[in-house]
Amino acid sequence: MAKVLMKGNEAIAEAALRAGAEGYFCYPITPQTEVAEYLSKRMPEVGGMFLQGESELAVGNMLFGAASTGKRVFTTSSSPGISLMQEAISYMAGAELPAVIINIMRGGPGLGGILPAQADYFQAVKGGGHGDYRTLVLAPSTVQEAVDLTMLCFHLAQKYRNPVMMIGDGMIGQMMEAVEFPDSYEEPPLPSTDEWAATGALDRKARIIKSLFLDPLGLENNVLILEKKYQQMIREEVRCESYKISAKNKILIVAYGTMARICQTAIDELEAEGVSVGLFRPISLYPFPEKEILKEATRKNIKSVLTIEMSMAQMMEDVERAIQGRRPVHFFGRTGGIVPTPEEVKEQVLKLLTVKHRSSKKKS
Amino acid sequence: MLVISPVKQHRLPTFSKSILIIVGGYGSGKSEVAVNLSRQLVNAGSAPVAIADLDIVNPYFRSREASEQLTSLGIRTINPTGGQHYADLPIILPEVKGAIEQRQGVLVLDVGGDDVGARVLSSLSESFIEDTYEMLLVLNGNRPFTADLDGCLKMINDIESSSRLKFTGIVSNTHLLEETTVQIALDGLELARQVSRRSDLPVAFLSGLREIIECDEFDNVDVPILPLERLLLKPWESSAGDE
Repeated sequence: MAKVLMKGNEAIAEAALRAGAEGYFCYPITPQTEVAEYLSKRMPEVGGMFLQGESELAVGNMLFGAASTGKRVFTTSSSPGISLMQEAISYMAGAELPAVIINIMRGGPGLGGILPAQADYFQAVKGGGHGDYRTLVLAPSTVQEAVDLTMLCFHLAQKYRNPVMMIGDGMIGQMMEAVEFPDSYEEPPLPSTDEWAATGALDRKARIIKSLFLDPLGLENNVLILEKKYQQMIREEVRCESYKISAKNKILIVAYGTMARICQTAIDELEAEGVSVGLFRPISLYPFPEKEILKEATRKNIKSVLTIEMSMAQMMEDVERAIQGRRPVHFFGRTGGIVPTPEEVKEQVLKLLTVKHRSSKKKS
Repeated sequence: MLVISPVKQHRLPTFSKSILIIVGGYGSGKSEVAVNLSRQLVNAGSAPVAIADLDIVNPYFRSREASEQLTSLGIRTINPTGGQHYADLPIILPEVKGAIEQRQGVLVLDVGGDDVGARVLSSLSESFIEDTYEMLLVLNGNRPFTADLDGCLKMINDIESSSRLKFTGIVSNTHLLEETTVQIALDGLELARQVSRRSDLPVAFLSGLREIIECDEFDNVDVPILPLERLLLKPWESSAGDE
């Protein structure tokens, strides 16, 4: 198929359809409303279900119910809306249901603003709802990657029977880029939903899909079943990418989403000025690419690590945990809808390099 | 002061009307065309130029983001200010109506995408006097809903009924951002011509990135050409575009 120019939100919507999404539940919120607008036209064309709820609270629970049928279902929203869905996400994790949740993040906390931010990292990665559960979290940095990861989300949700989340800052949803959709959607084989899905009990025993386990041993057992899946995710679903990592780097930048692209511009410009810097970009935020970051950060030439975010040092906690104190981890970020410029990133790198020179002079 | 100095002397678009309404589908490149057209008009130097951002559907990448540059060129920008600059609320400043009715110099109206975005015009439609404005449809054949003749004709129809105004011309602006090729722009012009034949609207001009539009393939094109400099950039493009 030839490339088309699409807004991130439209591309996400189209990608979901091509991955076989049959049910979409939503409530409008900037900056992701175009997903709903697009699907209000397209969902009926493919015979799927488009339903606007009365609130995100309703949407979360519609998703819970629809996911119980084993069909591919999803929702999209932005930060405050995703907060309202946390209870349902926890219930779906507890009941082992596949669902895709896409958060096109805006500035917070509270009602915040409508400009791009990455401030829902903790909410997505650490589990915004209650209980011992995890959500698999992916973060694209281009519209094309948003297409690819949206499709992957549906596969992973079915593979693990667990909520899977994709998070992108508002820019991912709002910007236009050239994208290409695969002619046909192919994915590795998946376990059948026949064993568990609520599909009508006319000719079989009724099934109860629930997250309630009053017997503590039963509840502990359920949590252990979930835990086993999360361990499998850690083994099989780590995704990351590096950019211009070389033995000449003294500093390793860690950034995700569109923030990584701003860092790439800064890295290219620094390279032209004779300063070599590498970028490590986590694509899966849970599972976090811990071993991979540790390996890159502890190379002999790397003196320190710089985490850059459109939030206040949220991912930095995971970077620090991965590096285990073996290199200093610094932070730079803007938030509230302010997007750091390549110039600001360059300034931070150069500042770090000067500090380093001074301290090494002291030693000699 | 930035001045457009074309390497090639194409016939640039000129207008006898005092109001230029720039409308089109999402992602057609309306805002980029509107800000570049304003620059070209001020460069032509005939009359004071003003641009109003009437986009009430997009929260980001609106022409108001170029207002600092435009103001420095002597273009009057009419946009919501303060916190409302960042809002996605349907704010239409009273100055817009004033500027339409006063008709001093040239007024460029940058309207939001699709019929939904063009609805804002219907609330102003009583201020427009026939034959004093051009309403131009910006067409991008690489957008899903305007990829073929039927899609484009539907877009014309939908926008005319939601705006309560009639189109007067077509702008061929087919592109794939940085991945645009000469062939893409030529195919787009062909689509615009087909739309023109079926809708009886003239192709007002062809627009495209300067590096594309100044290739030899466009030397004998029989419509005016507006070379575009990208003014509405993504954050990681900012440094590259500042030269």
